[in-house]
Amino acid sequence: MVNGVDGQLAVEIKSLRKSYGKLEALKGINLKVEKGTIFGLLGANGAGKSTMIRILVGSSDASSGEVKVLGLSPFRDSHKLRHRIGYMPQLPALYDDLSAFSNVQFFCSAHGIDNPKQRVKKVLEFTSLTARQNDTVIGFSGGMKQRLSLACALVHQPDVLFLDEPTAGVDPKLREQFWKHFRELAQQGKTIFVSTHMMDEAMLCDRLAIMNQGVVLVQDTPKNIMQMGHSQVHVWSGGHEQVFAIEDYRAQLPILLRKFNLDSSVTKIEIEEDTLETIVLKLLKQTTVEESEREANHV
Amino acid sequence: MSSVTKGGNVGEMRRASGRFSGKRLVTISRRVLLQLRHDRLFLALSLLAPVIMVLFLKVFFDSMKGPGFVVSHFIVPMGAFLIHFFTYILCAIALVRERAHETLSRMFVNGFRRGEIILGFLLAYSLLATLQSLIVLALLGWLFELSYVFEIYASIYLVIWLLAVISVALGIFLSNFAHSEAQMIPTIPLVILPSVFLSGIIVAVDKLPDWVQPISRISPLYYANNALQKLILPNGSLGDDWASLLGLLAYGLIVLMLGSVTLKERD
Repeated sequence: MVNGVDGQLAVEIKSLRKSYGKLEALKGINLKVEKGTIFGLLGANGAGKSTMIRILVGSSDASSGEVKVLGLSPFRDSHKLRHRIGYMPQLPALYDDLSAFSNVQFFCSAHGIDNPKQRVKKVLEFTSLTARQNDTVIGFSGGMKQRLSLACALVHQPDVLFLDEPTAGVDPKLREQFWKHFRELAQQGKTIFVSTHMMDEAMLCDRLAIMNQGVVLVQDTPKNIMQMGHSQVHVWSGGHEQVFAIEDYRAQLPILLRKFNLDSSVTKIEIEEDTLETIVLKLLKQTTVEESEREANHV
Repeated sequence: MSSVTKGGNVGEMRRASGRFSGKRLVTISRRVLLQLRHDRLFLALSLLAPVIMVLFLKVFFDSMKGPGFVVSHFIVPMGAFLIHFFTYILCAIALVRERAHETLSRMFVNGFRRGEIILGFLLAYSLLATLQSLIVLALLGWLFELSYVFEIYASIYLVIWLLAVISVALGIFLSNFAHSEAQMIPTIPLVILPSVFLSGIIVAVDKLPDWVQPISRISPLYYANNALQKLILPNGSLGDDWASLLGLLAYGLIVLMLGSVTLKERD
């Protein structure tokens, strides 16, 4: 994991709640994100990921709680903060009747950047859109719009980048390049706050928060979260298969195998680890059971 | 993909201040006008629609000709109404579309301010309205053989242009309450129909029931019609009804202020 540059926090959330009428979209979220890291929000649709990002960029009000980005409030200090953050919303949020160049140039102009054309060209080159920079966006594919939207979010070189499902509709090759660049940005001290529902992307984050129905179920490094899973060890000995369920196979496998003495009768050993998806599903199931029990106790 | 971060750092840039910026205002106007230029069908229809309506007015009023019927008393305010109608709709729909497509919230996140957005839209759509007003007035003068001196023509144009700018501001203000184009549609008859029937274009306001007369004053067309009716009288001039002109100006300022206050940065 990449540690924070100077130990300061890029994002700090305390007891954050957001309600839309009777619907509670966020139910008391607490999060800390160190500078220079990639922080992932993983959850299904409706988990509250976009709501949280919209609050962090100052597009949505919080019902209660405290939110700070780079030590500033997205509400009270919005005009100081807005030139230091980049935001890529879930919808492309582009002007379809303008060219790719004009779209990036327009958002760039809000930040008072010297040599804006040079910056726009650079960011279009990065997103592989130089060849199409003069074409109107209306003819772009979904993936191209995502790339252009990312270009608009990056053009002013923000310190913190909020990306709401940035790779939705992007092909695997480009997805890999996006993530390679996110890592480069993080290594330069930029912070990436990214939401996703893709397990393989979640594994690329430095820290991960798994969300469900407005609640953070767990937040830790992907490695530690993976250790919450179980493993199944299949041992074929004397023509028979035996299956053992163990928690941490790295620590427990030597102990388990001692009883077989690893003689010639052992012909095959197979280890099946829980995937992140299985762990997430188990967490969701556990939460549902706990909620049902709580409700039953109330009745 | 090459690296975007190499060769660029924060030191290269001048961070924009959080204060109101005329430069950002002009950027917004330029962007809106660029969009209009690219959407040629929209631009053509915006200019053609008032022309077609004036042609219909010509057919309609020609069939009403008779002794004592002074067509200019009706046709000049009707021209003003057409401009009010089209500028209101075009601007209101455009701003709602920005909200629905989330480009408006993206503008805020990037640091554009409320005043810059409101005035940027107002400037861009006022330029379109300027063109619309010019076309409509020229066509009215030609088709209905209006024989005013240049000074009166210029004064009529000023009143109609002012109404157009105010209609843009009204469109901005009312669009703040809609989240989609569909939600904006019901406001069109609510704003437009009372302005036709109650602003004095068809029936003089003092002939309407007492309880309706205050409602007439809600439409900017009421003030524009009053000023125009005085202007087109023989020996009429812009100075004959300062109160209506000031009413029109005050109306515009109030609507602009309300538009700025009700434009939400956050949901």
